[in-house]
Amino acid sequence: MEIFAQLVANSVIAGATYTILTLGFNLIYGATRFTNMAYGVVAATGGYAFFFLTRTVGLPMIPSIIAGALFSGVVGVLTDRLIFSPLRKKNVRPSVHVIASLGAFVAIQALLSIFFGAEFWTLLPSGTVRVFDVAGASVTEVQWWIMGIAAAVSGLLFVVLRFTLFGKVVRALSDDEEVGKMLGINTDRTIGIVFFIGSMIAGLGGILVGFDTGIQPTMGLFILIEAAVPSIIGGIGNLAGGVIAAFLFGFVENFGIWFIASQWKAAIAFGLLTLFLIFKPEGIMGKK
Amino acid sequence: MNYILHLGTFFGIYAILGISLNLLVGGTGLIWIAHAAIFGLGAYVLALLMTKVALNFFLAAFLGMCIAGIVGCIAAWVFARLSGDYYMLASVAFNYIIVSVFINWESLTNGPLGISGISRPSLFGISFAGNESFFALTFLFLGLVYVSARLIMHSSFGRVIKAIREDEEAIRVFGYHTLLYKIMISGIAAAMAALAGALFASYIAFIDPSNFHVMESIFILGIVVVGGFASIRGSLLGALILVLLPEVLRFAGFPQDISAHMQQLVYGIVLILFMLYRPQGLIGEYKF
Repeated sequence: MEIFAQLVANSVIAGATYTILTLGFNLIYGATRFTNMAYGVVAATGGYAFFFLTRTVGLPMIPSIIAGALFSGVVGVLTDRLIFSPLRKKNVRPSVHVIASLGAFVAIQALLSIFFGAEFWTLLPSGTVRVFDVAGASVTEVQWWIMGIAAAVSGLLFVVLRFTLFGKVVRALSDDEEVGKMLGINTDRTIGIVFFIGSMIAGLGGILVGFDTGIQPTMGLFILIEAAVPSIIGGIGNLAGGVIAAFLFGFVENFGIWFIASQWKAAIAFGLLTLFLIFKPEGIMGKK
Repeated sequence: MNYILHLGTFFGIYAILGISLNLLVGGTGLIWIAHAAIFGLGAYVLALLMTKVALNFFLAAFLGMCIAGIVGCIAAWVFARLSGDYYMLASVAFNYIIVSVFINWESLTNGPLGISGISRPSLFGISFAGNESFFALTFLFLGLVYVSARLIMHSSFGRVIKAIREDEEAIRVFGYHTLLYKIMISGIAAAMAALAGALFASYIAFIDPSNFHVMESIFILGIVVVGGFASIRGSLLGALILVLLPEVLRFAGFPQDISAHMQQLVYGIVLILFMLYRPQGLIGEYKF
């Protein structure tokens, strides 16, 4: 029974991280309509910025989290301004965007390796970690942080998209970019802002993943998949569906490694993705 | 001299990979980021058959090509329903799962440690153990692959494949069973990639799962991007450039641990620049 409670707790914590990752991914996808392969490594830059600020500069946790997320936001906007915005103006096929984003992914990962080395780092200072007992499962202080941040970010994003003018513009853009243009929306600028917000959320996710598993330059690809799997399962572009799928994914993954073995964790995630792509590509809540 | 032979052999192997991927990507217009997994499949089948049951290289390579060909056909059949971004994500997942199998099926593949002691080919008393003769053998195979790829693309079969790329619906209306064509081209491309894998394993005598990661698949895609989509000659040029590029960087004198990442950085930037300024590649006929 204790194992069961622990598995549920782990699944919820994983689901919270995936929620953040998938929200940023979905937001950018909705506005740009292509799978941004650089999304994961942009998230990783947030983790590295946090690492640099806490270890080398010596800033406290919370300012470093905010600065790390902002840094990812800036990196994301740079990829948009330097690569994707010029491509949009040329009106090329989505595949060209995708291959360019692969290039950005490879280049940014290489930069992380050059500046920080290819080795693995833990993000949290070692020492005593406060652990709370919840119905037989132990949940660390950091894991509470992860869940709190996930709830706050999703709530904030929901309010912004629902009740602000900017939110309306973004939603119009995800529905139909051409119509948006006709209504006089500056789509290029809006997409730039969406890139900033989405990448900031990604950076936050990168920091949280780093809390859990540490950071490494190669983490980007896996983060991308952890973001893409719930997005597709929930119906790409559907934020609420993505959140539900993020928790579903967390449960399948954690219970999966209990039944099989932890080294197959990645294969479980990818297997689930493949199954959904083949049998239900529109997702559980997606529009056809 | 040995150095030039070494580069020449590597060029031959990567040119086979580039040409085979180009049959698939240039032919169908879908981005496939799992060629390294198929390459690895060929390498692993050869390595296992040669080290465990002492099979002749040519027979082992042929069996590897058959197995990879079948896997390629199955993958094409399973992924046939997907298009665009989903197809690409599924291919990344596929690559990841295959590498997971290489890593985790330790009793067979020796896990992350890989397989060593793979010998060079010999046939009817003629040995290809020397670097000169191995180079000649690689070029013989490259020649065969090149000629068959050209024959395929210029045959009526190839014209149907190109028509599928341009407009699958239209060609289906004419009564062509497009799925069958996609499965066949995929099987052919996979068999060719497995041949490259067999040559690679025998040439460097040691393989491990890290040789066949997603990053390697992106590198192979880079050959196609630089050379040009749907241009078989372009893939020769692309392979030549991408095999020589690290050597140029080596002479630029970066320290050893940085130079591998520098290489990656340059590859990434090359991909981005080609998408921005020359999406059809150096001598490609088809704009992605």
